[in-house]
Amino acid sequence: MTFLSFFFIVVSLLSFVVAQLILKRAMVSIAESGFRNLRFISSVAVGIFLMTISFFLTLGLLQRFDLSYLYPFQGLSVIIITLMAAVMLKERLTLQLTIGTLLISAGIVLVSLS
Amino acid sequence: MRCWQAKKTNAGRPSGFGNPWLQLALSVVCVLVSELLLKRGATDTADLESAWSWTGINGLASPLVWWAIILIIASFISWLYVLRYIPLTIAFPLSRVVDILVPLSCWFFLGEFISARRWIGIGLVVIGLALVAKPIARIEERL
Repeated sequence: MTFLSFFFIVVSLLSFVVAQLILKRAMVSIAESGFRNLRFISSVAVGIFLMTISFFLTLGLLQRFDLSYLYPFQGLSVIIITLMAAVMLKERLTLQLTIGTLLISAGIVLVSLS
Repeated sequence: MRCWQAKKTNAGRPSGFGNPWLQLALSVVCVLVSELLLKRGATDTADLESAWSWTGINGLASPLVWWAIILIIASFISWLYVLRYIPLTIAFPLSRVVDILVPLSCWFFLGEFISARRWIGIGLVVIGLALVAKPIARIEERL
């Protein structure tokens, strides 16, 4: 793996994670301020833009590597998103949820290693 | 105030087709099929010499990629709906059930071989999913 491919894997992962957090915040804000306000529309637009970047980078990576090689990084996204949601969105993170998340990530890595 | 908000969310949670858990499942199925289509489409159109190939943009030449995009948009709409009702810490780990559905569907439909290590990984994910999903079952029961 070259530095460039590692760089694109990280960028694609990060843009995906940040997009999820922004979208979650936007969808929660509906309950208070509804659909028709600038903040909701702009957050969803930024979220979609970031997911589009992540999508095309993944497509470019898929042309170079096997799906099974790229999968462990998706496993990583479970841990990152759960952590970030707990820290930034103040969602409750129980011990059970943490262990479940770690098991899912470990499982995804094992599935893609073989 | 918080109690009131929680009550409102629970009362306002739609059932039937609008059930967020059903939408989560729909979203997962769309992602599953789109992943398989994308890999096929990306392989078909791979042109590693091109300077733009890192962007993946030449993948658009494959009709399979376009079908995948339609499915991704559908899964995205379901996913936004899910986000409205389910915390990200629960919804996102659950959505990764797709990571074991991909190898399982390759095994089931294409007769591909699954190694012992891969079966162990699938087992770990299932246990993890059960742990993540368990508190929800309790929340839903109380309603």
